[in-house]
Formats: sequence, structure tokens, C-alpha cells
Amino acid sequence: MNKSRPVYAPFKLDPSGAAHLIVTSLAAPPAGLDDTLSEVEVWTVARTGPGIPVPMVGAQRPFRSRTELLAQLEHRLGRAAIGLRLYAIGSEAFIWDAANIAVAAGMGHGEIFTHQAGPRLRRVYCTHCRTMIEDVAVNIAPCPACDAVLSVRDHFSRRLAAFMGVKVDAEVPGEIPAPEEFAT
Amino acid sequence: MNLAIADIETLSPGLKRFTFTGAELPWAGPGSHLVLEIPGAERTRKNAYSLIAAPDGAYRIVVRRVERSRGGSHWLHDHARPGDVLEVRAPQNFFHPPRNAKRHLLLSAGIGITPFLAYAQTSGLVYELHHCCKPEEAHSFRALLPQGANAVLHTNREALNLHGLLARQKLETHLSICGPESFMDHAISLAKSLGWPPAKIHLESFGSANWGNPFSVRLKRSGITVDVRPGESVLEALEAAGLNPPCLCRGGACGECRMSVLEGTPEHHDHYLSESEKTSGKSMMICVSRAITPELLLDF
Repeated sequence: MNKSRPVYAPFKLDPSGAAHLIVTSLAAPPAGLDDTLSEVEVWTVARTGPGIPVPMVGAQRPFRSRTELLAQLEHRLGRAAIGLRLYAIGSEAFIWDAANIAVAAGMGHGEIFTHQAGPRLRRVYCTHCRTMIEDVAVNIAPCPACDAVLSVRDHFSRRLAAFMGVKVDAEVPGEIPAPEEFAT
Repeated sequence: MNLAIADIETLSPGLKRFTFTGAELPWAGPGSHLVLEIPGAERTRKNAYSLIAAPDGAYRIVVRRVERSRGGSHWLHDHARPGDVLEVRAPQNFFHPPRNAKRHLLLSAGIGITPFLAYAQTSGLVYELHHCCKPEEAHSFRALLPQGANAVLHTNREALNLHGLLARQKLETHLSICGPESFMDHAISLAKSLGWPPAKIHLESFGSANWGNPFSVRLKRSGITVDVRPGESVLEALEAAGLNPPCLCRGGACGECRMSVLEGTPEHHDHYLSESEKTSGKSMMICVSRAITPELLLDF
């Protein structure tokens, strides 16, 4: 058991909240939305969404990118009243980026819920040059900024919202195992 | 440690400020309290009082003369004189300002103002304080309250729009409450109904719930039965019987005096156990909680 890997509960709305904001790096809202609760808002990432800050379409607001969504999230949480619950759904990089924004806005235990969903893609942190590599699908990845070929460890940093990548052939230069897809 | 009363100031007929001095007083941050051992006709009382300021060569507390006093506040009001020396335990803190809060909403009623007087003097602590008191004590509390628009006095609880106040807070605010049990329970349930997460609600209670019916406590491991009188806590009754159960805050906040209840039904007055733990009735905080049944069997 890797202690640095967060464990995610299945998604459900927390009925003790007065308002609910669901942010997802996926294009569709999550299944199992409790429609008995009011004040539920869903932010999604649809790559073909409108290119300017958009009003709500019903209770759903599509963004063109995660970056745009997260920038709006920071703004939104700065104005939000207590009682809000934030649910971040998607890749681990996205949900911990969102959680870190929420913590900076003053949210904490009982207000932030994270749920991993979608393709098993990892953000990898090159421990040799500090470059972030997005959406890595296999456990051996070259760093685009330095010449290291990285082994993507299961060691996850919540602060960086990234997995640690370390030089795979540090001991025997050139000895690079075949890459494998992530099971989790 | 033995500390001498250096000064006693009358703030109102029911409120006095006591200053204790001694050599090398340990530092105490905002929210700390002292436990004073107060002489009494039958036995020594151990009462906890919040420090109203950081130590500056002296500890300062404000004591209300409680009508149905169990002895402590009457002695301090009626018999204590400057120069008297009391046994005082070094300050403990179960109510320090939450560290990750950027703003603090402070709610107090009556003598519950005392820890927040220390909060208000803490540099860098951004707060909004709402204090409720009876109209006849408004003058005394106004004099105690910090100056400024962020400290507001309400002369009855209805004058404070608690719902609006709790609903409009931002995410970075933490709520701290100190006052009588009914005031705290009302504020807590209102805050929870507005979606405040329990992790952002902080409480300091003081032993106001010790009145009630007499009952007896059987102690399984000690093999004795102790009678608990009205106006006396289980903790005090056990101490009077020569036992030394673990305890720290004596106010239902710290969790140190938790005891397993093997038989009988406790009546909870603490803010430590969770709702489900209280409902199960399998444990109790003996410093403030009492019994519904005539007898309790405790695992001690």
C-alpha cells in the first residue's frame, strides 16, 4: 500500500452543504447527481465550448480548458459564502489543482471532496529539472526539458498535484525498461 | 504554583477583574485558562477561568458572581482580598484561535466574552466579535469590549441577526463560540443548518451545566459508590471521594476525562463527543455530564 496515494470515495453530494459546486475535467457531469438538492452547479471542460467567460446554461457551465476553469474557480471561491461544498472530479492532477485552490480560498475538511475519474493519465514532475509533464499515459516518460528518461513512481504529491518522475537509467545508463500503462 | 491576588476591580455588581502576580509566570496564548483552587466551607473548588490578556507579568481574569454558585465565584467575589494566595495550575489552552483561519467570527454571551478579550489583543488576528449581554450589564461589557466597529454589543440575543451574520461569512472565516450552553447550542445548530462544516466551528464551554438532580455513580474497578449532589459534577464527587480521575479542562471540551458507561443513561453536556457517541450513551465526560437514570455504572 502506497501511503502517498490518496484514496477516493465514490461521488455523492453532501446534504449538509447549502450550495454545491461540481468541477470536472471531463465533458459531462457525473452520474448520480442528487436532484433533490437545490443550488447545484456543474462546471465542465468541453474543448469546443465558448471561448469567452460564459454564463450558465441551465445549471451547467462549460469551459474550453482546465486552465480556464481553474482560473474562474479561484475567482468564484473568493466571493463565495460559507456553506459551499466543492466536488472536484477527473484526473488526479486536475482534482488536486482544484483542491489546492479551494484550500487557498479557506476551504478545508468537510468542504472539499475529490473523486478520480476518466482516463488514467498522470501529471509527472521531473525531479531533476522541475518540469511538469502533463497527461502521461505510461510509466516510462522522457522529460521534454532535460535529457532524463523518467520512471513515473506511484509517489503522488498533493501540493504539486503530480507524480514523481526519477531517472530510470541512473544506475545503468541506457537501460530502459519497456513502458507499461497505469493500472490505477 | 502559588499566586497572590495583586488587585481586584469591581466592573459591575456581578463582575470582578482579578490580577494575579508571581515570579516567572508561564506564557499563555489567547484562549488559555487557569484552574484556581478556591477554598470552600466543605471542600476546595477547582474552577477554570479564561485569561483575558496575554501574561504581562500578571494573569488577568474576569469572574462573574453566579447566583447559583457552587462556591467558587461567591468566594472570589465576597471573600477574596488582595494579598490572598491561591493554588493555581499553569495555564492550559483548549481554545486557541484556529491557525488556518484568515478571519474569525467570534460569538459570545455573558461571561463567555473572556477568551475573546485575549483574542482581540492578538496581533494579526482579523476578527468580528458579537457579544450578547443583559441590558443592565451593557455598561460593564462595553467597557471591557475592544474599541472599533468589529466589536459589537447586543443587549439581547434577538437583537443579533445571527442567521444573517452566519450566512454571509466568506469561506476563509472560522466561527468560535463561547457562552452559556443554550446560546452555544442555538448558534451551533443554526451554523450547521447553513452548511458550516464542523471543522470550522470552535467551542469553549464552561461548567454551567452542573446543576441537576442527585444521582449515584458506581465505579466498577474502584469498587465503590459515590453520590453526586446537585451542583456538583461527577468529577468533583470522585475527587472528594479521594480518587484522582484524569481531567484537564473541567469544561467538557478536552476529552481527557472520558469514561465508559457500563450501565445507566448519561445526560450529556459536553462539546467533545460526537452526536452518535452521545446517542449510544456508552461514554461520558464526567466533568460536565450527568445522569438521567438514578445510577450509573462507570468503568473506573
